[in-house]
Amino acid sequence: MVTLFSVSNTLSAALLGALAHILPTPLNGWATSSGVVTGLAALIFGAILLAASMLNTILLIWWERKLLGRFMDRRGAMHVGYAGLLQNFADGLKLFRKDTVRPGQADPLGFWLSPTAYMVTSLLIFGVLPISTGWNGGSLPLTLLLALVIFSFAPLFIFLGAWASNNKYSLIGGMRSAAQMIAYEVPILLAVVAVVIVAGSFDLTTIVQEQRDYWFAVPLFLALIVFLTGMLAEMERIPFDLPEAEAELVEGWNTEYGGMLFAFFMLADYLRALVGSILVVLLFLGGWTLPSYVPSVLTSFPLAGIVWFMVKTYIVFGIFVWIRASLPRIRTDQLLKLGWMRMVPLALLSIVLATLVVKAGCPPVLHCVPPMGG
Amino acid sequence: MQTNELAASLTSRFDSRILGVDGFPGLLGRVRFEPAIALDLFRTFRDDLGFSHLTMVGGIDWVDHREVFYALWSDADRVYVMLSANLPAEAPSIASAVPIWPSANAHERETWDLVGIRFEGHPDLRRIFMPEGYAYHPLLRSFKIFEPEDLEVKVRSE
Amino acid sequence: MWVNMGPQHPMTHGLWNLRVRIEGEIIKDVEPELGFLHRGIEKISEDRHYNEIITLMDRTCYVAGLAWEHLFILAAEQALHITPPERSEYIRVLASELQRIASHMMWYAAFVQDLGLMSPFLYGMRDRDLVLDLFQSFTGGRLTYEYMRVGGVRNDLPLGFTGQCRRVLDWLIDRFVEYDHLCLASTIFHERCDGLGVLPAPEAVAYGVTGPMLRSAGSHRDLRKDRPYSVYDRLQFDVATATSADVTGRYLVRMEEMRQSVRISRQCLDWLDDHPGPVLAAQLPRWLGAPYAPVGNESYLLKRNYPTGLGFSMIEEPHGEAGAYVVNDGGEHPYRVKFRSPVLINVWAAKRYLPGYRVADIPPIMGSVDVCVGECDR
Repeated sequence: MVTLFSVSNTLSAALLGALAHILPTPLNGWATSSGVVTGLAALIFGAILLAASMLNTILLIWWERKLLGRFMDRRGAMHVGYAGLLQNFADGLKLFRKDTVRPGQADPLGFWLSPTAYMVTSLLIFGVLPISTGWNGGSLPLTLLLALVIFSFAPLFIFLGAWASNNKYSLIGGMRSAAQMIAYEVPILLAVVAVVIVAGSFDLTTIVQEQRDYWFAVPLFLALIVFLTGMLAEMERIPFDLPEAEAELVEGWNTEYGGMLFAFFMLADYLRALVGSILVVLLFLGGWTLPSYVPSVLTSFPLAGIVWFMVKTYIVFGIFVWIRASLPRIRTDQLLKLGWMRMVPLALLSIVLATLVVKAGCPPVLHCVPPMGG
Repeated sequence: MQTNELAASLTSRFDSRILGVDGFPGLLGRVRFEPAIALDLFRTFRDDLGFSHLTMVGGIDWVDHREVFYALWSDADRVYVMLSANLPAEAPSIASAVPIWPSANAHERETWDLVGIRFEGHPDLRRIFMPEGYAYHPLLRSFKIFEPEDLEVKVRSE
Repeated sequence: MWVNMGPQHPMTHGLWNLRVRIEGEIIKDVEPELGFLHRGIEKISEDRHYNEIITLMDRTCYVAGLAWEHLFILAAEQALHITPPERSEYIRVLASELQRIASHMMWYAAFVQDLGLMSPFLYGMRDRDLVLDLFQSFTGGRLTYEYMRVGGVRNDLPLGFTGQCRRVLDWLIDRFVEYDHLCLASTIFHERCDGLGVLPAPEAVAYGVTGPMLRSAGSHRDLRKDRPYSVYDRLQFDVATATSADVTGRYLVRMEEMRQSVRISRQCLDWLDDHPGPVLAAQLPRWLGAPYAPVGNESYLLKRNYPTGLGFSMIEEPHGEAGAYVVNDGGEHPYRVKFRSPVLINVWAAKRYLPGYRVADIPPIMGSVDVCVGECDR
């Protein structure tokens, strides 16, 4: 079976093999030794992940712009590339060419460190997310936990950047980001606990495979609602974009950032949106699998798993965009109230449901709703 | 209420310090008064005549003197009345209407800023449109537009 | 901690500055700083002919230009003792009411944007464009119109205007329902707006607050009813009120006002269809600067006995009660023109209705005030 690692291994071996032809004798043996090949394969693996995640992030921005445009009765970006596909590349290029200005009173270390760390931690998650069977960084027992832990680093770096940029709006935005984290982290983890109880594993690949009989979205719809809401808050999108509420806080915690640093924040925001959508697909919507009654011609072409996975991810993100287009922003205290008084009880209830599902076995009705192919 | 009734009631209370009540089409009238009785007059208008709403405060520079005018509205009679007082051109000042109508605050700051009429007892009589420390009152006739030094905005010192 | 909400801030977008003293997220004190857009319109008016001041009126409030033209025209006609023809009065009322719809739509778009609602912003702007198209067809301008004249209006309505206008009004009435669905049906909208920025009627009167803000507190005060100007006494409409005195109340009042404006506009259109006639008074002094003033029976060079007089007018402008006081001492230019800006006073009362709420509440509350800095600073 083709896996991401086998692809990078083949690439690495081919590269080093070609290199061995032109290298002198003592070196060519070293170049083809298994340790070097594996090392280069790991680098290639990382590079492919980086390129794929960045490409998808930029496509995600395009997808959001087009969708938002349609929701707002306009067409979105239209001019650069076909239907504006290249518009975001142009925007990114413009941002990278811009000067980055650090305010005189800002703390240099925190100011430079925070966007970098924000970006790096967001990229790090992709190393553990399985995209299709075998297309991941290897099967680890606790990938889900690892992903969530890295995911929740971000408010720390937001607060670091907000504090370091020495701006009142940034500070308030950073404070809100920290307060917001308290509101959504607990319900998210409780909702995940429900999934873990039913799946019996913390490994994302196993969780997807456990959904072969039914998608977890059906018995655990309460957990899905809580998780979706929490993810909205985690991604800081409307209606939970309080830390960067532009009407009152200019741009919130990234007020003082411009040019490339702003591009870092912006890209990392969408990276996190991508991760959030992927997590929803993995935990609740059966990952790269499709119901078994779908004609096999749709699932048998090469890389079908990845294609369907991306389709699902973009649809989930489309729901987030839809929410953004139709809801106003709520207030910090209301978010806290929502998190603790609505989402936590719902998540606890969904844990009870999950144990019932495990205890009673899967109710037969669920088998026929979306019966899953392998 | 008619203009002459208003004149009679005001004259009975303030006699000669009301300088006259003129007719004004569409309004109850234009009351000219001596600045010394300003606060008493305002109180009379608000409490006894029901003019609960201060609509407008402004000043006019007549070069030899300055005029300050007030427009009041009565919800009961659904009518406006205009009060007007003449102030000396040198250091014009009149009692502030803020204790009677809080809304006078912004109006009087604007009048001080643009016409240079001081309102005694105003809680916060600063400039409102022009920068603090600006040397002129722009709506005075002596202020000429397009003099280069006017265009220089002096930086506020804090 | 004092925080500057402005001038380079998305809420005040470069036009004014709201200094806010906060403790945590709670507002303790506010201090509006104004004057960033002060252009000295009252001063410039002293050196201009009456019809030339109309140009300034469009710039005074750039979202309600026709309403301010209407205001100044009324005061100037009183000061100059000129009576406009009846048809022009109806056209003025029609223009003012269409302007009210356009202004309220602009407010709606900006207000929901402050709440974080993105789509209705574009819906509001899209539908406002239809009203601007109407303006373009009879005034030639989309933002600054220079349409009304002392003694009437510049030109009559174009052929087929009334039919087109009715079609737009029918379309708009349906859109208002859509707007309400987008806002009032949303729980988050009510969470963000109910009980915010409360200003009860007695305090609103004391602080001089007028317009939709006053009517949202249950007051029925509307100058179009209480002191009818132009031909408002011949038109049927209701005064829009609410009782909650908060942000939601102001939203409801403005929405209802738009519906009433549509109603008034339709009555004006019906009257205009049946009553053709002149739209500019026949005998106007030439120095007004009116482009179509008849030559021959005015006294430009020979007599110079210009009329003197005082003119005072108050109108119900989209933001509140606007006033003009024109002092005509017998010359080609007014001696002094004084305007009352409703926004200046409404913003000033922020000292009363903002403290106690949170920083996140400032955009909805100040958005519900409908700040137009152009007329505030003049």
